[in-house]
Amino acid sequence: MSLLAAATVVSTVAACGGSNDDNGGGGSTGGANEASAPGITEDTIKLGAHYPLTGVAAPGYSEIPTGAQAYYDYVNKAGGVYDREIEWIYKDDAYNPTNTSQVVNQLVLEDEVFAIVGGLGTPTHSAVLDFLNTEGVPDLFVASGSLLWGEDPDTNPYSFGWQTDYESEGKVIGQYIADNLPDAKVGLFLQDDDFGEDGEAGLMQYIEDQVVETQRYTSGNTNVAPQMAALQASGADVVVGFNTPSYTALTQLTALQLGFKPSQWIYSNVGSDPALVGSLLARFSQGAVSDASLLDGVITTEYMPGVDAPEDPWVQLWQKVWDESGQEGELTNYRIYGMAQAYTMVQALQAAGQNPTRDDLIEAVETVGADWEGPAFSPFRYSTDSHLGISGMQVVQLAGTAADPQTGILVTDIGDADIEESEAEHATPPESGIPDEEPFN
Amino acid sequence: MQQFVNVTLSGLTQGMIYSAFALALVLIWRSTRIVNFAQGSMAAATAFIALAIINAGASYWVALVVALIAGFVMGALVERIIIRPVEGGPELNAVIVTLGLFVAIQALIAIIAGSSFQSFPTPFGVRGFTIGDTTIALTPTSLYVIGSVLVVMALLVALFRFTRTGLAMRASAFGQEVARLLGVRVGRMLTLGWGLAAVVGSLSGLLIAGGGFVYPAYMDSLIVFGFVAAVLGGLDSPIGAIVGGLILGLALSYISGYVDRGSALVNVSALVILMVVLLVRPGGLFASSTARRA
Repeated sequence: MSLLAAATVVSTVAACGGSNDDNGGGGSTGGANEASAPGITEDTIKLGAHYPLTGVAAPGYSEIPTGAQAYYDYVNKAGGVYDREIEWIYKDDAYNPTNTSQVVNQLVLEDEVFAIVGGLGTPTHSAVLDFLNTEGVPDLFVASGSLLWGEDPDTNPYSFGWQTDYESEGKVIGQYIADNLPDAKVGLFLQDDDFGEDGEAGLMQYIEDQVVETQRYTSGNTNVAPQMAALQASGADVVVGFNTPSYTALTQLTALQLGFKPSQWIYSNVGSDPALVGSLLARFSQGAVSDASLLDGVITTEYMPGVDAPEDPWVQLWQKVWDESGQEGELTNYRIYGMAQAYTMVQALQAAGQNPTRDDLIEAVETVGADWEGPAFSPFRYSTDSHLGISGMQVVQLAGTAADPQTGILVTDIGDADIEESEAEHATPPESGIPDEEPFN
Repeated sequence: MQQFVNVTLSGLTQGMIYSAFALALVLIWRSTRIVNFAQGSMAAATAFIALAIINAGASYWVALVVALIAGFVMGALVERIIIRPVEGGPELNAVIVTLGLFVAIQALIAIIAGSSFQSFPTPFGVRGFTIGDTTIALTPTSLYVIGSVLVVMALLVALFRFTRTGLAMRASAFGQEVARLLGVRVGRMLTLGWGLAAVVGSLSGLLIAGGGFVYPAYMDSLIVFGFVAAVLGGLDSPIGAIVGGLILGLALSYISGYVDRGSALVNVSALVILMVVLLVRPGGLFASSTARRA
């Protein structure tokens, strides 16, 4: 019954679009559906992405496309976008940039997708950034908080970030440490690429004089004992990790081996999923740790509600979408991430108009993307000058699988932009669970 | 000081793991004159068999024994069915076949067991021992690893040096025709060699997995490091494999711990060490004789 209702809503949207727009161009609406761009036919839109489905980065991340799939299925069941069904094709790159180039080439040249959406990873996606921008393929909502996708729209006009960038996150965490742990000696554990460097740049704005040791690890090298031994030797009592979830488990396990007990662990949003890390470490408990409480007391950040907030209307929507999709497994934060990104993508497709070109899609995100309401606590920063995504975060402390807020929603931007607390009320999802954006032109 | 001790101990433990894998390569090289690149994924396959048994509720030790037997059977079957047809041809053929096997087995594990990370239990603790107030990077699990590898090495030395079977295996590998003329059942010896090598490989796979995380490709870096360790030791000598593994483990640990951005240099360093040793001593550190070639 609810499905039927949702279907009606979408077809009404399509009809309305026709009445308020007649200024021509690829984004115009009202007439028949046309094959207006590569990957768009009268009744389908093809979207592609790359994810690590195998290898060291796969835990957690490999669940993201299943979440996106669930949400696209949900929208398709309700009639799709402008009566077009969304075809979602994602391929495994094993977090290896060489594979990323190969699969993205396939997606663009063989599968002929309309856009790449949510391609995951900094080193991986960097490998295809030039290719996509040279070919003029929209490269929306890269699943990485690197500045590369959004900082410089002149160089990369087709790429957009989505989640809060790592530099802004570093600033928020840095300010929290400076305010609340001013006497702490801080050790940094960073992935040796833009992820770690951007986070470090943000942190250093606030706690440069508190950092006593910086260690970097290379993804794929799973022996982090030398790095942890160095942090231990430095006397650090707060360790801040900008690392992937597997490495959160590895650092915790190695710290146990070394008897390294800093008084506070802080992990970036990326590496802090308690359910995943707990399940990885559960085996080694033997009285030492138990899975749910393993990350107890760890401080991290959030930019949208997750499974720790089952009462949140957005999480309830995701739960409903996930249950209806009938896929195996529980709702996880990674699946929520995939769904939330798919939600933004549906907003973008609606805003691009009935028969969009690839450039219409880009223009739509730049023009109206900053006004979209969604699951994130704070708005996107999209404009012609910035393609960076969500602008704010909240610092939280983990307790079991729940998260206890330590600050309000802190909104900032890269560089020396101030950090301000947001007063805005968090939007609730539309009743149908499907956004309803007007065409931008 | 504590850092130095811990980096050293961590390097030794890692080195022992490289040694374990190098031992398997040495064993198969000694008994068949083939470098078996599939060793890593064969070991991973047995580790996943062990994990399935443990997940079904059995003890670690039952799983260990079953996995080792499975390893032996797999090794023997691979030799009989897949390697036998290319044996006796150019050496490269067999090597290429093992490379293909490596990929195929890994894919098969992913299909059956899934490709996600899973933690692998260890019968001993993962907390470091404490001396006074300081904890050192030596855990009961690392002692178990070190002990097992030393025992395996001793058994291998004894097998090749003191038993008729060991002599027959070496003879079969060294010169099939001559050995056959002297009454050695060469085919059986080659199968036995593959089976035993797979047992040692499986053991190394389980030792590496214990107290850590496994996924179908978890042996990949170990294949590289184990191979480097084996070549460092001369490919022919069990003791050489141990020493090669320890040298490599320590060197990589120091580089990772003390060189700026050392973690990124680990893989490159392994190859640099290999090149330097081969330039200085082309037969490896423990080669028994430089002129000996199959």
